[in-house]
Amino acid sequence: MAGFLDNFRWPECECIDWGERRNAVASIVAGVLFFTGWWIMIDAAVAYPTQEQMNHAFHTCGVFSTIAFFMINAVSNGQVRGDTYGEGCMGRTGARLWLFIGFMMMFGSLIASIWILFGGYVVPKKEVAPGLAVFFQNAFIFFSTLIYKFGRTEDLWG
Amino acid sequence: MAGIKALVGLSFSGAIGLTFLLLGCALETYGVYWPMFVLIFYVLSPIPTFISRRLSDDSESSNACRELAYFLTTGIVVSSFGLPIVLARTNTIKWGACGLVMTGNAVIFLTILGFFIVFGGGDDWSWEQW
Repeated sequence: MAGFLDNFRWPECECIDWGERRNAVASIVAGVLFFTGWWIMIDAAVAYPTQEQMNHAFHTCGVFSTIAFFMINAVSNGQVRGDTYGEGCMGRTGARLWLFIGFMMMFGSLIASIWILFGGYVVPKKEVAPGLAVFFQNAFIFFSTLIYKFGRTEDLWG
Repeated sequence: MAGIKALVGLSFSGAIGLTFLLLGCALETYGVYWPMFVLIFYVLSPIPTFISRRLSDDSESSNACRELAYFLTTGIVVSSFGLPIVLARTNTIKWGACGLVMTGNAVIFLTILGFFIVFGGGDDWSWEQW
């Protein structure tokens, strides 16, 4: 029973050479997700302008997610492994710390957005659309970060 | 240079795209000119790619700067579609105008992409080409 899918292969698709274009595709997908998340939030902010419908403090989650995106993607995987030449600001340990803090901010914002959705909208039975917007903004930014960070391979860098 | 026909074809499609945008604003049933703000996104969209090509010399191999340029360009394109949708959802513009603007967006961005494909792959990408 174990491993019965081992010999399963997707139907061959030789039309596009994914190898060379992998980084470009990952960057584009990440861009679509990131900015779609922000426009969902902009739409909610415009459609629900009062503090009662959507507390303006909920924008904080998206801001921290964005800061975390740039922190996480500022260090390359090579720097974290210690492959690069030169010390940089604090070397490999500094890169790991930076990445750690970035991921903590990202996860924290995601958890906060889920909390906002359920604690602020689902449980009090308010109109749920703004809470969903906050959640989707942060979820999209989260997945965008993952794709931009791990979907690109540094082997393709010249 | 890759040819006059390509240039004329691209300028025609650019004009068609701008026509769609203008129709979305100027038709009598619509009449509001808020969608013209997507022109900002049209102007901004080639800039990240220009900057990344200027900064890095190798045109073929991928690098972090080029990928960041793709990311930002995609963001600008998404924003140009997001703005009409947000405007239509708040009834600032009608949905018909939104549809026309988005069609114009698609045509313009395909035109800009066409420019990059036809005229972008120069041997030396320098400002002297202009």
